[in-house]
Amino acid sequence: MSEKKQEKEIQTTAASKILGGIIRWVLIIFFAFYTLFPLLWLFITSLKTNAEYFDSPFSLPAVPQFINYINAVSQANLGRMIFNSITVAIVATVINVLAAAMASYAISRFNFKGKELIFALFSAGIMVPLNAMMVPYYTIFSKVGLLDSLNSLRILYAAIGIPISTFIIRGFMDSFPMEIEEAAYVDGCGFFGRFFRILLPLTRTGLVTAATFQFITCWNEFVYANLLTSAPENKTIQIGIRYFTNQFTTDYVSMYAAIVVAIVPSIVIYMLFQEQIISGLTAGAVKG
Amino acid sequence: MKTTKDVKIGIVLFLLPALILFITFFLFPICYVAVMSLFKWNGISGAEFIGLENYKDILTDKVFIRSIRNNVIWALAAAGIQVPMALVMALILSKKPRGWKFFRTVYFFPQVISGIAIASMWSAVFNSEFGVLNGFLKLIGLGDLARNWLGDPKTAFPCVLLYGLFYIGYYMVIMMAGITGIDAEYYEAARIDGASSLQQDIHITIPLIKYSIMTCMTLAAVFGLRTFEQIFFLTNGGPANRTSVVVLYLYNQMKKNDYGGANASSVMLIIVGALVIVSIRKLFTLKKD
Repeated sequence: MSEKKQEKEIQTTAASKILGGIIRWVLIIFFAFYTLFPLLWLFITSLKTNAEYFDSPFSLPAVPQFINYINAVSQANLGRMIFNSITVAIVATVINVLAAAMASYAISRFNFKGKELIFALFSAGIMVPLNAMMVPYYTIFSKVGLLDSLNSLRILYAAIGIPISTFIIRGFMDSFPMEIEEAAYVDGCGFFGRFFRILLPLTRTGLVTAATFQFITCWNEFVYANLLTSAPENKTIQIGIRYFTNQFTTDYVSMYAAIVVAIVPSIVIYMLFQEQIISGLTAGAVKG
Repeated sequence: MKTTKDVKIGIVLFLLPALILFITFFLFPICYVAVMSLFKWNGISGAEFIGLENYKDILTDKVFIRSIRNNVIWALAAAGIQVPMALVMALILSKKPRGWKFFRTVYFFPQVISGIAIASMWSAVFNSEFGVLNGFLKLIGLGDLARNWLGDPKTAFPCVLLYGLFYIGYYMVIMMAGITGIDAEYYEAARIDGASSLQQDIHITIPLIKYSIMTCMTLAAVFGLRTFEQIFFLTNGGPANRTSVVVLYLYNQMKKNDYGGANASSVMLIIVGALVIVSIRKLFTLKKD
């Protein structure tokens, strides 16, 4: 009797395991499809003719129309927008990571009054709704004469990332033992030497993590690029996407080609630095 | 190592750049909006002190009320729907099924693509003439349901809100990191006691990553409150302000040269955000274990 019961129990657990497995895979595939389908659709549509697109949103292109990409680049001045986005992102990332690394060094390696207060303030900064700071930011940049200049974006983006970058870099520095610096100190290596010659090279993984994350944030930023710049030569690629939708009112497929061009760099950087991005994000979030 | 004078100078020098940026773009703006929300100002001529008038104006403005309501719905949906879905997927992928790294990579994609690019993709989905959604409905014989999704007051807000809720990668990754940190001994003990994997998830994993879940809910709610790009791009608040949110409202007040009203809305958003953060924290620390 009890043997039978046991057998039945084993059967039900086996059945529930199979059912659990099915539910699990349905969910896994649903979320993957949900994320990938629109991206694939966008890419495929960017290779169709407009006639094919109007005919059915799901058909495949008879012949891939790479000319859509040429049209997008020539009509929308994409080259200039990409160049702007790249220079803004690079300059902002360099300033940001350098400033955050310097602050992290001071906070991680030395004891001074108010250091935990500074760090707590930075951490709280992650929660500040910066989108709601349009009036003060606009006022600041108009007062210093940087409205409609890419320099305003370079400075602002460098600042926006300070909390998260400091978080990431300080975490790396804290986990790195003091011994080598102490030895260097005995050998007469000063405050600056220890930073540039020892700590920076040794914590470069942390710097790369912060930089990758910061670069993607800059590349994707829209709200303040939209508010602070207006001249066509100061447009970034994200502003471009909005502009394409007005520009290509009839030429949908070129618009989709332009959007693909805007997305690809983020995806490439993500694929290259995936581990850094994920560890950086979780470091900031788990502690914050 | 001794704190000599050059070290003291070094510390100050090294803190300065980050501090200047932080003070200028975080602390100063908060003080600025708080003070300037008490003034009437058109952005050009002198500001005039009017006390709480700006708050009275926006709180009696139907569009502002609608906006803040939309933001609160957004924050609740993100914390209450998106995060639990992310938790389920974190539990599933943490068991390392075949290809879990690939799926983690895929789920995370929307996090690295700009909000504007994603919104532009979804505008192709919701487009009334050539949209993917209407095309799909016709394909499966439900053509009657096809409509102008973003132009219809009934469907516009659900559409702009819903599509992003299924992008769970960010929160999933945070919670997976939490799960990785759990000591394997807990599970061994549970297995000896005959706990199923579902029971282990509910009784061990979820309680132990409580604070990761709290962090995710806080972030989700905060992001819900600062929403702007999608709305600006997809509907610009329409139809008839149905999809307006606070940041869009303040952007429009600014364009109308009502800087005082814009600042008062910033302050309201900061206050609501702080309340949300505090209440989520309370919610999680209330129940003991």
